[in-house]
Amino acid sequence: MRRVALVCIALAAFSVLTGRASWAQQKIDRRIAIAADASIRIYNMAGTTRITGWERDSIAVSGAAPPGTSFFMGGSGRVAKLGLEPDEKGKEVTGGTLEVRVPRGARVWVKSAAGSIEVSGMTGEVDLSTVGGGIKVVGTLRLVTAESMEGDLEVSGASPLVRVKTGGGKILLRQAGGDVIASTVSGPIIAIEAQMSGARLETVSGPVSYSGNIDRRGTLNIQTHSGDIELLLPTTIGAEFDLASTGGLATVALPAKSGKPLKGRSVFFTNAGGGAQIVARSFKGQISVFGQ
Amino acid sequence: MTCDELRDRLDAYARGMLAAAEAAALEAHLERCVSCEALLAEAEPQPAGTQALPKSVEPASDLWPGIHARLAPRSRGGGRGRIAMPGWMLAAAAVLLIALSSGITAVLLRPPPGRTAAPATGALAPLEVQYASAAAELSAELERARGRLAPATVRIIERNLAVIDSALAESRRALAQDPGNATLERLVIAAWRQKMDFLRRATALSTES
Repeated sequence: MRRVALVCIALAAFSVLTGRASWAQQKIDRRIAIAADASIRIYNMAGTTRITGWERDSIAVSGAAPPGTSFFMGGSGRVAKLGLEPDEKGKEVTGGTLEVRVPRGARVWVKSAAGSIEVSGMTGEVDLSTVGGGIKVVGTLRLVTAESMEGDLEVSGASPLVRVKTGGGKILLRQAGGDVIASTVSGPIIAIEAQMSGARLETVSGPVSYSGNIDRRGTLNIQTHSGDIELLLPTTIGAEFDLASTGGLATVALPAKSGKPLKGRSVFFTNAGGGAQIVARSFKGQISVFGQ
Repeated sequence: MTCDELRDRLDAYARGMLAAAEAAALEAHLERCVSCEALLAEAEPQPAGTQALPKSVEPASDLWPGIHARLAPRSRGGGRGRIAMPGWMLAAAAVLLIALSSGITAVLLRPPPGRTAAPATGALAPLEVQYASAAAELSAELERARGRLAPATVRIIERNLAVIDSALAESRRALAQDPGNATLERLVIAAWRQKMDFLRRATALSTES
């Protein structure tokens, strides 16, 4: 009787262990050689993808594949493709993490649905897309393109060309320089410590806040429908301002301009001899310009 | 990229001869600069054969006697290539053309039931016709692909499109009350651009799913 009980316990333990194997995450540890300027496509629909640039001509991937998914990777020379795909087509999967090291100067394309994407240490180009997840890019790259339907986007660094778009998410630009195109539907756009040479910032109902400077011959073009616009600029900035809000009010409080603030539905003036062009338009949002 | 730099490269871009990075920088500038965007339309690539043509052609020694001989009969009886038509008939044709194009515009911009739409004015009208037509195509494509999208994604798309449509309708109503207001016209165009961009992205999602 005792022997039968022991056999039963052993069988139960075996079934639990084998069962666990079927739902446990599978560890990923793979690498391939690739050109320093390779084009790399990465698919990770549900989980987090972290891209890190390094000084090697190879791709190294670590992480975990969630149950019901398989990791794939292939490529050589200047092209590579990797990612997680569901074992059954159309089946929804959750979780999973990919830590991908790529040559710094590579061109990386990442597609996700619910997952988030993070990039750091790169100097090449990235084209990142997700539906509900967030995107974070740190560093100075040749080109940053990031799109999400609902997630937050954060780009830190003075990349010469930045294009970011989201629907309801927030766009945060830190120390952005060069040409920037940022667009949301209802989410806010916030630029901190900016030094842009050309920018178009557009929202429908989200507010826009720009803090920093603009190149001497640069252009800053902001448009919202109902979102408020706030500019925090050096008091000595040389720029032509063209501000108009149909249903709101434009208020300018740049001490260098005059003693008292300018106010009106439409305000046009030149500060410190001009140079840059600043245009802000809103249908019913408030427009405010402050000196810093 | 500045406006001057763009103008230097515009011809090369129109001919597809610009490096990818330069082309991307140029496109980024075009997206935010209306005056340079207008220049692009003028920089249409010339037919390939024109490059092989000589830079200048010397006329024959004395062409005038021949030209004069051919012009003389025309001044008396009217040229062969010219349409001779009484003034009232030309005026009637112009009125007919205007009525026809306005009719097409009205049909294309007809608002959905229950919603009032402002008539577009001046140069905005043809632009809106193009936007409305392209948006209708993309919406139809999106509707066909709806089943392939996750329900959560569909909700996100609908929510964002509702915000854009509401802003567009509000701007158009204001423009109807103040026709020709340049600021409102820009806002209407911006709303259309937002709508087109969002629809394009949503449609791309549905085709990739």
